[in-house]
Amino acid sequence: MNKKDDQVSGATQQRTSTADPLGTNSEIARKLKQYYDELVADEVPDRFADLLSQLEKAEPARKKD
Amino acid sequence: MAVSVAFKSDLLSAIPSLRAFAVSLSQNADKADDLVQETLVKAWDKHESFQPGTNLKAWLFTILRNEFYSQMRKRGREVQDSDGIMTARLAVHPSQHGQLDLKDFRAALEKLPEDQREAIILIGASGFSYEEAAEICDCAIGTIKSRVSRARTRLQEILQISGESDFGPDSIAAQVMGSSAA
Repeated sequence: MNKKDDQVSGATQQRTSTADPLGTNSEIARKLKQYYDELVADEVPDRFADLLSQLEKAEPARKKD
Repeated sequence: MAVSVAFKSDLLSAIPSLRAFAVSLSQNADKADDLVQETLVKAWDKHESFQPGTNLKAWLFTILRNEFYSQMRKRGREVQDSDGIMTARLAVHPSQHGQLDLKDFRAALEKLPEDQREAIILIGASGFSYEEAAEICDCAIGTIKSRVSRARTRLQEILQISGESDFGPDSIAAQVMGSSAA
């Protein structure tokens, strides 16, 4: 699937084998989480709920099943 | 067939994650929200192709990602700059106490090529498995692994948290040259 060569960049960090390329406890991993969680926590603008309501209304008469 | 109420509420609850992924990909809040909007419309139209019981979030992320790359192709990669101008702008010093600043991290993340950035986000932040990430990115699991690994190495270089280098202009210059100083 992947050549060994692809993995060479990780060779300097023996403890992060291919099993865990990210290094779950690394500083990078923690910052990544922090960065992303902040984005997820951002308040969602109303336009998205409005959009879904519009899509719902625009649907042809819905059949009951 | 009508879109079910459950599907709509599932879409609603996926929006925060979609926005986070969109910002991570596009590095631009306005573009990100346009991407999310496009994704929701497409998901709504194609809802019949979604198989209930499978991973809705992965399905939505796939749509969003495809949308992102197709928009990028249309725009001819106007803003992307993996290695050029921004490199000069970016002079990241680790803060005094060795604590990595989130702002610095963001700047470093922005410097990654998209394929590495999306891989490390999907695995390290969005909570997908390697299998799921490979499906979302339409590539092999080994490819995702190697992208994550390269992304991590690159971030460590940019942020100088390998623990081997002192702070200062010289070591930064070395990083910019891309030397893998041992």
